[in-house]
Amino acid sequence: MEWESITEQIDGEFGTGVTKGLLGGRVPVALADAETRTLYIIPVEWVEKVVNQDEAISAFFELRLMGIELGQMAKSRFFLSLQVLPFLQSLTENILVVSSRGAEAFTYGKSILKESVVGMPRWLKRGQRVLIVNEDRECIGIAALALDAERVNRLAPDKLVAKNLADIGWYIRRLG
Amino acid sequence: MVSDGHMSRRQIRDRAKVLAQEYGYLQYMIERYLSLWGEEETLRFLEACEEPVRTSIRMNTLKASVEQTAARLNEKGVDLQQVEWLECGFYADFHGFSPGALLEHMLGHYYVQGVPSMTVVQALDPQPHETVLDLAAAPGGKTTHLAQMMNNTGSVIAIEQDRLRVASLQSNVMRCGVENAIVYRGDARKIEHLELDPDRILLDAPCSGEGLIPLDSSRKTSKTMADVRFCATREDELLDAAVRALKPGGVLVYSTCSIAPEENEYVVDEILGRHPELRIVPIDLDFGDPGYTNPFGVSLNDSLRLARRFLPHNHGTEGFFICKMEKESESD
Repeated sequence: MEWESITEQIDGEFGTGVTKGLLGGRVPVALADAETRTLYIIPVEWVEKVVNQDEAISAFFELRLMGIELGQMAKSRFFLSLQVLPFLQSLTENILVVSSRGAEAFTYGKSILKESVVGMPRWLKRGQRVLIVNEDRECIGIAALALDAERVNRLAPDKLVAKNLADIGWYIRRLG
Repeated sequence: MVSDGHMSRRQIRDRAKVLAQEYGYLQYMIERYLSLWGEEETLRFLEACEEPVRTSIRMNTLKASVEQTAARLNEKGVDLQQVEWLECGFYADFHGFSPGALLEHMLGHYYVQGVPSMTVVQALDPQPHETVLDLAAAPGGKTTHLAQMMNNTGSVIAIEQDRLRVASLQSNVMRCGVENAIVYRGDARKIEHLELDPDRILLDAPCSGEGLIPLDSSRKTSKTMADVRFCATREDELLDAAVRALKPGGVLVYSTCSIAPEENEYVVDEILGRHPELRIVPIDLDFGDPGYTNPFGVSLNDSLRLARRFLPHNHGTEGFFICKMEKESESD
């Protein structure tokens, strides 16, 4: 049931069949702690090894990560992980290209302003998730559109276009 | 000076007192260096530890080719010089910029890592499709290097006990595009419970860090001989667990960032005595000095000369010990 709702959400935001494409030949598995449920995608042959662990193993070891982190379920919404975004890039058209200056600011946790926008599809709607890529087409994070894409041209340069949800600067900020 | 050119105990004590004051060390450390190396080499060591260690990076080919990353870094004014025995290892002069702040670092194109740490993984030589264990794995430099050498195939089982350090391990695994890692939090001394049959094991053991003085001068005074002994006991337990878990015919690399023979050659010598199925094998890379076979006048297994040591005064790096071993296969 949970997987169905995650698939629905990802496909709804990024296009039909995207979740299947992300999985490739792998399978999704969940790890839960007190606050969150994290989903990973792993090779089928790992399932025996890591999922069906007996009590003897879990008494000594806590499984913390396996394969590729797909994302986290929190407050009934699924948040894609930074690790999976580069895979998503080849499967979706929800891509906002930003200038080098905008890209740098984004990796410091800033959101995307009109002056940084290089291009994006005009059919994207307010609230929709978009991958943020630099002019070298490297994925640097994910954002939520603050307005319909077709309205962006009417904005002043300093106006918000997309709100930063996660960026690769987190890898560095997280470690202090 | 006694007749054979060695210093007497009293001479060592007196000289150590002076040098300890001059260079800011605990006296017992200098006494040990004088006993191990004599005065001339001790002085070279002390001087070398005052010099900064060159920054080095490993190009992460899971994210971009060596050539691509080198070109991008050159464009940003970073000077690179390849480490002779490491295809993906480079000394990097960032000219004052933080190596972690560049976009290429965030994208996982490179990992800031000491030359000895990169060499450890190269010495283990993991192969695609194998099962490889990385014990005491955080912050993930070696885990991500293993995955890189295995081209994201097989599996790298990374174990780390410290909760906070597990978080940095996870973060680096994700940043570097590693897809074949399984990370466990737990005590690596209990690995037999995981019931794995690893082809190779990397044990870069938690140690007293005496080799890190060039990077962290607080180590000159932060550890006593009791700390070194405590670490040696834990290292012995970890290595013993690793040997027991290793598949027959499997390969194991034991390393520490300590220069103390008690944490290195003594530990391996003890393990070799306890596990006749284990033998030291040569490392097919041209680096470092041979391991010691007679430190402090204690005679150890002669094959320890096949182990390698990085020393600040001989190699311009932090101090490190690397020993590669093989477990007899069932047909042997």
